[in-house]
Amino acid sequence: MELLTRKESWNIAYEHALGETASWFYVQIRDHAKLYGRRDPKSGRVLVPPRSFSDQTLEPTTEWVEVGPAGRIETFTIVYEQFKTLPPPPYAFGYVLLDRADTAIGGFFRGIDLSDPAQAAQTLKVGVRVNTRFAEKRTGDILDFWFELESK
Amino acid sequence: MRDLPGKTHVAVVGCAMHAPRDAKQRSLEEAIYAVARAALLDAGLAIDDIDGIVVGANDQLDGRAISVMMASGSVGGVGRDILSTPSAAEHAFVLGALRVSAGQFRTQLVVSWSPTEVSSIPEALRLGTDPYFHRALPLDELSAAGLQATALESAVPDIRQAAISIVVKNRNNGAIAYPDRAAAPRETAWIASGKPLRWPLTDTMVTPPAYGLVALVLADAEFVKERSLPAPAWIQGLGWATEAGLLGDRQLAALASLAAATEQAYQQAGIKNPTTAFQLAEVADATPYQELLAYEGLGLCARQEWLRACESGRFERGGTLPVNLSGGALSFNPVYCAGLMRIAEAANQLRGRAGHHQTAKLERVLAHAASGFAMQYNTVVVMGRDPVAGTHSCVGARP
Amino acid sequence: MRWCKTMKSTRVGIVGIGQSAFKSHRDDANYPELVREAVALALQDAGRGLADMQAVVYSLAPDALLGIGNAERLGVDAVGARNKRFMRINTGGSTGLSTVAAAHAHIAAGVCDVVLVAGGDKVGESGDSQAILNKIWDPTYERQLPLTTITMLAMSAVRAMHKHGMTEEDMARVTVKNRVHAALNPKAHLRKKVTIEEVFASRYLAWPIKLLDACPQSTGGCAMVLASERYIKENRLEAVWLTGLAHCSESYFIGDRMGNNYVADHADAHALRLSFERAYRMAGIKDPAKQVQAAELYAPFSNTEFHAIEAAGLAPLGQSMAMLRAGEFYLGAGTAVNPSGGTLCTNAIAVSAMVRVAEAALQVWGRAGAHQQPGARVAVASGNGGDHQFFGSAVLEA
Repeated sequence: MELLTRKESWNIAYEHALGETASWFYVQIRDHAKLYGRRDPKSGRVLVPPRSFSDQTLEPTTEWVEVGPAGRIETFTIVYEQFKTLPPPPYAFGYVLLDRADTAIGGFFRGIDLSDPAQAAQTLKVGVRVNTRFAEKRTGDILDFWFELESK
Repeated sequence: MRDLPGKTHVAVVGCAMHAPRDAKQRSLEEAIYAVARAALLDAGLAIDDIDGIVVGANDQLDGRAISVMMASGSVGGVGRDILSTPSAAEHAFVLGALRVSAGQFRTQLVVSWSPTEVSSIPEALRLGTDPYFHRALPLDELSAAGLQATALESAVPDIRQAAISIVVKNRNNGAIAYPDRAAAPRETAWIASGKPLRWPLTDTMVTPPAYGLVALVLADAEFVKERSLPAPAWIQGLGWATEAGLLGDRQLAALASLAAATEQAYQQAGIKNPTTAFQLAEVADATPYQELLAYEGLGLCARQEWLRACESGRFERGGTLPVNLSGGALSFNPVYCAGLMRIAEAANQLRGRAGHHQTAKLERVLAHAASGFAMQYNTVVVMGRDPVAGTHSCVGARP
Repeated sequence: MRWCKTMKSTRVGIVGIGQSAFKSHRDDANYPELVREAVALALQDAGRGLADMQAVVYSLAPDALLGIGNAERLGVDAVGARNKRFMRINTGGSTGLSTVAAAHAHIAAGVCDVVLVAGGDKVGESGDSQAILNKIWDPTYERQLPLTTITMLAMSAVRAMHKHGMTEEDMARVTVKNRVHAALNPKAHLRKKVTIEEVFASRYLAWPIKLLDACPQSTGGCAMVLASERYIKENRLEAVWLTGLAHCSESYFIGDRMGNNYVADHADAHALRLSFERAYRMAGIKDPAKQVQAAELYAPFSNTEFHAIEAAGLAPLGQSMAMLRAGEFYLGAGTAVNPSGGTLCTNAIAVSAMVRVAEAALQVWGRAGAHQQPGARVAVASGNGGDHQFFGSAVLEA
């Protein structure tokens, strides 16, 4: 028999409050191209991106600490598949432990030849040093910066 | 012979309810963290005292695809056993109570919230209609409530007057309980002159969605004793049940699921005569028609008596059974967690922590929560000053 | 102590199991019909009717994958829950196991004697599940990045390669094994055997994960009937026993699982290990590597099966790759891992973790058919949800 389908899509938008902590972090990126973390007083860990409380201790964080701009790769992946609403492949992104931080922050890796997966994965290795690059025009967002391999 | 506590009795030992004034000051995660901490402070406990967590979270309202993910860190989920009941905020309470009662956990933290960050709450909730037959219709929660009110008005003559009096009552109550956030008190003529939103519901018969959060701490009898926790609100009976999914499959003017949930809870708590068993009730009232249905379903008042009971002042402050002294959802409506707030309000009354609207001399209270289109889910909670309510037979579920 | 008591007093058994033959699409059945199909099978298996069920716990992960908000409401009639106790659980990929745990609490609390757990998924209808799954990340810091469940676990693989020396060939071996198993399981979605070379020839999705390292988007349902020991005895039902059940969680933030002084490493499954420790304690299992004959471990990508095996205590940390190389974890070995083919061959997200429990139950029941692990008396199941965040584990015994 004839089997029918109905097309439906969800069209709802959200205006998510960032709160004081993330707002301040993004303003520093936008206006000063600087990155900060928050220190968890109980564990001493500097959380980057900054959280107003630690999910390990459930204590409020108490101190801003400037971090980066250099750091090391903690993990990465290189995407070769097109996913709807996501960027055209290939692209590389992952997590970087910025200097003076204790947790890693996500971001894109740019300036790397990704055409050969195996070779690209040799360039982007866990532990490799990277530097943060900031966009000329910044809006106060995580995409205002990305990582490039530290020049030798 | 077992009452709800299959292995142990369960009590509410801490509550917090927040209505953030400046929604931008904190992210949702931070607001959830704040309400969870406040409930722990209220209980006099630390997060290390919490064995497990249940949250009630709605992905569409939160704008997070698995909302418990972002909330977990805020409520102490890291390293703990945390579950989520998206079906209803009050289901988180039910599961939390079951988990303690089963003896696997001494304590549970139960948290829910209802933000207003979505572009349109009605549109977000309308996604709950099935895409096969109903999505193309303008069927949102308010329309469903309107359909239910119509069904009720046609089944029971002259109940509009009773409905209006409930709005007046709850807004008056809200003005005492939470003057900072409640809809202002208004006289009967004002309420009666509202503009239709979804006939027969008018703009004075509902309150716009608000941002609210609620958290409760549950503990078993041993823990309550060990920590000498003051004034626990003991859960004596717990019932929950659902209507059919599609509105067309239901009797909108009669809630069989509420009757079933009530029977479960009353049987557990050994309630024989509900009209005299409670000194206070907090019930679902997203519309005043919901409160009327609750009167009937909870065995507090037959539908033929609605108007007379409302006029008599029985359910008002100072009446024999004050209902929604908190002002209910008719004065403050955090859509998704309004039901869990009813339970928290009733528990706080028993614990002597209700605030301006505290009532004296409470032995036993009743809470009712409803969620979903036209009250699909109904949950009934009986709480008392003592762990066990007189004589009771065994748990209701035995066939 | 966060989790302190055992529940020796109320034993809970599984008395009926139903699952679909999973496929990519089912245009012949809408969502509730799909759930109903599994319920009918489970009830038939249990020799019970819908009227016997005292409560239903509904298994459903993100609404958005179905495109129906609170889709469990639509499932009420499919599971016969009208005027009965009903609630839905969602912990992402671990939902199906969390649902079983919630149902277990219904019975252990003494409130119910018989509880139905059920759910279904039509991931194939969602258009692009990865575009939806990006929305599980926090809108403050992370959603702007192309995080998906694939990239998230590719990053776990990269750390496992760095930390434990896992190779792409090790990963391919998991696919090869699970496809061998799935070929024996008529309910599995991907049942074609593959070679290591074929895995290597498949395209990269997100390095190092290739198409054949990844699970499919499956359509189908699963349901089970749980009952108290008293009810089982009174009604002379056949049952297998849920002797251990627990959950544990990690931070939402992947970046917190690396760097300095972290509690959990994103390479591994720290909280899954804690969850298994709790479940084993409850079941009284002291040496899982010796005591467990079958393990249905939630692993949607080949690499994640390794850390699941280690978290379940079936291999020392970092040793599971070598053990698979040596032929362990196949049907017939000391512990068969994913004898059904696992999540790697069938992933209807809402019920994937329930299928793990169901398959583990079938093993100790001796009813797994062609993919039966000989002599299985103790089996374990696990579920992973969120961004490698929520972990559940179960112990099943004959």
